[in-house]
Parts: sequence; C-alpha cells; structure tokens
Amino acid sequence: MAIERHLGMDELLGLRDGEGSAFARTHVESCEACRGELERLYRMRSELRALPTFRPPRELWPRIRRHVWRRRLRRRLSYGAVGLAAAAALAGLLVPRGPADEPADAWVAEASSEDLGPMINRARQLENLLQIYSPQQRVYDAPTALAASALEDRIFVLDELLLESRAVGADREVLRGLWGERVLALEQLVTLQVVQEEKRVWR
Amino acid sequence: MPPASAAGGDGLGAWRIYKSGMRAETVTVASAELARARAGDLEALEELYRAFQAPVYNLGRRICGNEEDAEDVLQDTFLEVCRSIGRFRGDGSLWSWVRRVAVSKALMLLRRERHRASCSLDGDGGLAGMVGRAPPEPTGPIDLETVLGRLTPLTRAVLWLHDVEGYTHEEIGELMGKTASFSKSQLSRAHRRLREWLE
Repeated sequence: MAIERHLGMDELLGLRDGEGSAFARTHVESCEACRGELERLYRMRSELRALPTFRPPRELWPRIRRHVWRRRLRRRLSYGAVGLAAAAALAGLLVPRGPADEPADAWVAEASSEDLGPMINRARQLENLLQIYSPQQRVYDAPTALAASALEDRIFVLDELLLESRAVGADREVLRGLWGERVLALEQLVTLQVVQEEKRVWR
Repeated sequence: MPPASAAGGDGLGAWRIYKSGMRAETVTVASAELARARAGDLEALEELYRAFQAPVYNLGRRICGNEEDAEDVLQDTFLEVCRSIGRFRGDGSLWSWVRRVAVSKALMLLRRERHRASCSLDGDGGLAGMVGRAPPEPTGPIDLETVLGRLTPLTRAVLWLHDVEGYTHEEIGELMGKTASFSKSQLSRAHRRLREWLE
C-alpha cells in the first residue's frame, strides 16, 4: 500500500546522515520530489563547508601571554600570602586593592567615589573572602574547576578592560558597568568556593 | 566523519588537521613542542596558538556570528589551553581537544549574552531562550552567509557543529546540556529556514 505523503525534514536529514528509516529509503527511491530535496541537503552541507574561513583580525597572543603570566604570578602570590591575607581579613585590616597592575592612586580615588566606591569595596571584600578559602583546596572536580577557571578568566579580562578604559578616558558609565560585572563574577566565584568548602567539610 | 584526524600514534607525535570541504588545512605541531607546551613553556604554547588560532577563531565566528565574540572565544580558549594542556593525554587528536574547549567557550558566551540581554522566553535559564527569538524576515534574494546571520544563535550553532564540524547529535546535546532530540529538532529547523530563505 503506497503512503501518500512526502518525507519531512527530519526524515530527509536522517537519510542524508545515514540514519534513515526503511520507509524513508524506499520512498525516496520512487519519489522525485523527495530525492530532489535530499540532493539539495547534500549540496547545502557542501556549500556550508566551502564557506570562506574567517581569520583573526588582530594579534591576540600578547594579551593571552600577559594573562597567563599574571595568573601564574597571582597563583604563586596567593599560595604564599594566603595566611597573611586571611589573618588580615579576620583582623579587619582590609587593604584596598584594585585590579592587578592598576596605578594605586587612580584606584584609591575611584574607591572613595560615590558611584564606584561601593562596588570596589564589595569587590575587595569578596577578594578577601576568596583568600580565606585555601587555594590549595580549590579544585575538586572537573565541572567545578572549569566553572572556576571561566570565572577567573572573566575577572582577568575585566581587569584588562578596566585598565584600558581608564587609559582611554572611558565614560564613568563604562567603568560602572565593568566594576558591576567584576563584582558579579567575584560573587559567583565565592559562591562556588563556599559550596565546595561545605562539601569538603562534610565529606 | 569528523574533520580532524591525528597523524602519529604515540600520543605526542605530529598532529594534523584536515578541514572538510574544498580546502584542506594542515596544521602540524611537533611532538617536542607539544611536550614543552605541556610543561608550560610559553614559546611552545605560542606555537600552539599560531597553529590553531585560525580554526578556533573561525569556529567562534561561525557560532557566535560576530567578530567581537569570536575574539573572546579565541582568547578564552587559549587561556584554557595554556592552563590545561598538561591534562591532554594524547588519546584523541589535539585539534579535537582544542576544538571542544573552543565550542564550550562559544556556548558559554552565548549563554552569557543571553543572560545579559535578559531575553528569556521560557525561563529555563539555559540556551533554550535563544531558540524562539524570531529573526527578521528577509526581503528579496539573499546568500548563504546572510541567511546564517539571520538564524538564531543556537540554531546556527547546531547547524555548524553538526553539518560542518561533524559532531553527532548526542555530542551536541551533551555540549549544550540538552538531548540529542533537541539537537535534531534545531538542525531540522535550521534547514527549513535555509530552504525557505534561499528559495
């Protein structure tokens, strides 16, 4: 008994990708319209694969290299300084700190400003919280490590953007946005560490 | 068939990438360089960057659809490569490993963009909100590049990962935190759109 219907897109794609049903295979042999559609899908895939390759418009390696250096440096520093930072935080001796490499005077001026000050102080508190959780205990499983890495990368990128924004005299609005995002990323990182720390304690 | 294949069987040998389609792109990383990269040597890591920057950028550009995001994907991918290359054991091709990192970064960026734009239609907090964002209807004849740009980011990502990069629906579903059926339905949707707009 002939089935009076043409193949749907799912069935045609299944055929193209070698997963077609027996009905679809039989049908396409006798149906010119569906055969034409199937050939069109093959052609489309070839056209997609033949599209030109985009190439990076500018050199990014120096920036990546700089991030890698900073990350290594920061890791060394955090391993060495964790005890001191924790003690300082617990004693309430929170030392103002901006993004790495940032001129201290510019940062202090921003930290005392009305619009950026609260965000910068919040970032400072979060950074000190991160220092309290032992860096040696930070990686627990692959998904957590990946999530933490992504957040750390994000923070590094934001630091870089903050430096560049200041260098070009960006609007205050831009700085507010960047600091806001930095605080958000730090909060997520702290949450991650707290959850992991709780798991570690109860393990 | 996936476009990447490994040459050399010792896990640290020379690796080659063959890009599907009309052109063949060959990237070779010597085993000694790979070993130095795994030890954290920045010059060797730069060699890896030189070898893979174009395919990674292209992947980011095709999935995210714009230059700026593609640069972010390239940067985030190589930050991850520099950090994690020591974990690469050589049981698959180096390009497959780098490409998986790149895809993960690109999808993460799509999620972040969606979160930033607060364009959730279904409220599931994942990528699905990008599915239903209706692209503007084209008027008049358009080419394949333009049509790709008009697909929603998620639909375009599935189309590219499956039809060009050679990922299976199961792999795409896993990468996106969805099912294989989800990937199939997105691919079907993409081809319906392509046919409709290119006719």
